[in-house]
Amino acid sequence: MKKKWLIVGTVVAAGVVGAGLGLFYSLPLDLRDRSPRQPLAFSHKLHAGANGIHCLFCHRAAPLSPLAGLPTLADCLDCHRFIAPEAPEIKKLQAFWDRREAIPWVRVYSLPDHVYFSHQMHLHAGVACNACHDDVAGMERVTRSASLKMGWCLDCHRRQRATIDCWTCHI
Amino acid sequence: MKRRTFLQLGGMTAAGALLAGCQAENEKLIPFLIPPDEGVTPGRAVYYASACRACPAGCGILVRVAEGRAKKIEGNPLHPVNRGKLCARGQALVQELYHPDRIRQPLKRSGPRGTGTFTPITWDEGLSLLAGRLKALQRDRESDRLALLTPPLQGAMAELAAGFLRAFGSPQHGTFELLAPDWLRTAQRQCFGAATLPWYDVAETRYLLSFGADFVEAHLSPVHYGHAFGRMRQHRDTVRGHFTYVGGRMSLTGASADRWLPARPGSEGTLALGLARLLLDAEWHDAAALAAHGLQRDEMLRHLAGYDLDRVAEETGLPAAAIAEVAREFASTRPSLAMVGEAVAFQSNGPEAVRAILLLNLLAGNLDRPGGVYPAGGGPGPEQTFSELFPLIAKMRDGGIKVALIQGNPVHAIPPATGFQAALAGVPFIVSCATLLDDTALEADLILPDHAALESWGEVIPQAGGRAGVVGLMQPVVTPVCDSRPFPDLLLATAQELGGKVAAAMPYPSYLELLKAVTRRRLDPAGGSDFAPVWANLLRQGGDFPPLGDSVPDYRWRSDAAFPAPARARFAGAEQEFPLHLQVYPASAFYDGRGAPFPWLQQLPDPMTTVVWDSWVEINPATAAGLGIGHGDLVEVTSPQGALRLPAVLYPGIRPDLVAIPLGQGQRGGGRYAQGRGGNPLTLLAATVAGVAPQPAWHATRVRLTRVSAQGELVTAGHPQGSYRSDLLGI
Repeated sequence: MKKKWLIVGTVVAAGVVGAGLGLFYSLPLDLRDRSPRQPLAFSHKLHAGANGIHCLFCHRAAPLSPLAGLPTLADCLDCHRFIAPEAPEIKKLQAFWDRREAIPWVRVYSLPDHVYFSHQMHLHAGVACNACHDDVAGMERVTRSASLKMGWCLDCHRRQRATIDCWTCHI
Repeated sequence: MKRRTFLQLGGMTAAGALLAGCQAENEKLIPFLIPPDEGVTPGRAVYYASACRACPAGCGILVRVAEGRAKKIEGNPLHPVNRGKLCARGQALVQELYHPDRIRQPLKRSGPRGTGTFTPITWDEGLSLLAGRLKALQRDRESDRLALLTPPLQGAMAELAAGFLRAFGSPQHGTFELLAPDWLRTAQRQCFGAATLPWYDVAETRYLLSFGADFVEAHLSPVHYGHAFGRMRQHRDTVRGHFTYVGGRMSLTGASADRWLPARPGSEGTLALGLARLLLDAEWHDAAALAAHGLQRDEMLRHLAGYDLDRVAEETGLPAAAIAEVAREFASTRPSLAMVGEAVAFQSNGPEAVRAILLLNLLAGNLDRPGGVYPAGGGPGPEQTFSELFPLIAKMRDGGIKVALIQGNPVHAIPPATGFQAALAGVPFIVSCATLLDDTALEADLILPDHAALESWGEVIPQAGGRAGVVGLMQPVVTPVCDSRPFPDLLLATAQELGGKVAAAMPYPSYLELLKAVTRRRLDPAGGSDFAPVWANLLRQGGDFPPLGDSVPDYRWRSDAAFPAPARARFAGAEQEFPLHLQVYPASAFYDGRGAPFPWLQQLPDPMTTVVWDSWVEINPATAAGLGIGHGDLVEVTSPQGALRLPAVLYPGIRPDLVAIPLGQGQRGGGRYAQGRGGNPLTLLAATVAGVAPQPAWHATRVRLTRVSAQGELVTAGHPQGSYRSDLLGI
């Protein structure tokens, strides 16, 4: 009798552990905020969408460098000294400038250190910005739509017949 | 609250904390405030060619700079001295730039000297303080009471310093450096007529015989000769060059040899002459070379009459058979090559022993031929910087110096037995141009901080390591981190403050303009062509690397050169009281101490003993057993000059009658990583040896050892804490 319970108990315990591991595996482990609040309510929808400013006007390092780069505070103020200087968010911007402090934007898209990714190469290959960044021009606050997992990268590399050699990204 | 509720709440809090810990934070993206200078693209590195001044070898470097920060240094492949290789000391230059204890602005002493209490001041105040003191000297017609103390200077910087002192009216310029190869220049002048340094063709030689020349770690140009040594061993298909090392301590170079001859300290010259006699007796010498240099075999054998094999074997303490075998190999394996280094030169009979080894090269026909030795491995240089130091010290002691302007760290790097430190304390006004609060800056009344090497313009002329006149250019790779000013520009600014004929003698708006003018004069004496593209190209490739010209000088034995006759070595300290010889040697990480402030170099295990973050004394296990000393014990090393407590390293690669201590540690200042770490063996050395003219004789002091306790606190790389002293790094 006792032996039977012991066997059943072991089987149940093994099942619970197995299910737990399965759940652990299937759950998204990336718990980072996909649409974090930013220190300034900057609207891509307004700038890139309604006003039609090109992505590379602000993210001008993208065709030159692995990083896309952010506009400097001085770049923002070049326009906003004249455009809507009284708006509350622009006042915050001006306050950052007056304190000589950089805006601590919260990163939405990030890759681990063991992945090498270059904006420059992707732009030169003719990949459009929205292939990875989705329709940023329609977003008030930037939301990450891509999983940025290795399978997601490989899917596109296979579709585009780009190299899938390990050393391409893991250098 | 019920016990059960408490536990439930506690469990929930713990689970909440655990889950919160799993939540990864989104990183921050920090943009620039204003657009950076042209050429800075975020995420893209720029490489600047510059030159390394961490030691006199003067290698070329390439610095990777991203987002305006210097990130990584490697060797410059175009530079003929190091061909893209670089040693650890060069790599650590970035830590000089970003050292957390750098002096951030001019400082004025506000407490007693040596206590390190300073008040920050502005550059205007600092410059007017210095100029005020100098003007007072001028007013009292005491211009010769200014002393300038720097490392040996070259090129435009030497011109600038000499011009400043001439215009001001002071002849006092001390350029002493502990490990400077003055001795080799003197020997070359006495034997061959020109005070230059040799260049050894190590890569092409088949038999290398090194008399205490540690060319892998420190001798002349370690990166150059280390690379050449690798080629000597491996780059030829059928030949693997043989290497014999002579010296009482097995250095890293000695450990790379096929044969180690631990000759008694001070007997190396005798060994060289013994080998010479064996060569001549058996007629293994190069008769054509002898004739070409105007030497006769019979006459030389007469000089060598006293150097029979038995006497040489007895004096050197080496087996006669081994000496005879080395003589036969050295003579029969052509091309062969004999090098001589500091372990020999810093004995009391060093100058003659060095000449004996130069003669050995002549006998074997190794001069001016591939795989041998060539003259003029660097231009002529100073020879007497050590003996010139004594009049300066005497003057300082007698109150003959009122202002001392110091670059470098002489308080740490000059043996105190010379009386330098005591004499300096009597100088009323000391100005230090340091980057860190080093031992010299701690004694200063005014500190006018210098730029780090990676922020400076400059010229680095390698002291050796090539035959053609290589000139490396240093250029700033980042905007200055602190409110510092480069030393040459400080001299120019001071001249402007002084006005009058000093200002008129130095009309350059900045050191950069002077550097350009000097370079232009050297490259284009006629001054006809457009210099801007030439200058841009020099900066791009890191300097001027001319090919070897046609008019290459040859070695020619001076007809009036005396036959080398090394006397029996003398030592400071009686043998009964101080039974052991002491050898101090540059630690591979610190050189003479200028590497000690950088944590990368402190963390770099010594290649032979694996000790990190400390200094130590190397003792032969047999000697240690006789004195009851175990590995890691704390021992006191006593010399006639003083005593030092260090942990013991039992090291089989050292003669039983010799102990060795690395240089570089034992600094009072030098920032948080160097401060108070280890001991400075220079405090043990005698300045002069009785009966010998003043010369750098750093290996001519005897010591005795006493065990103090078992708590030496020796930290080695294999030790549990040694591999990662996180407590020291603060990470």
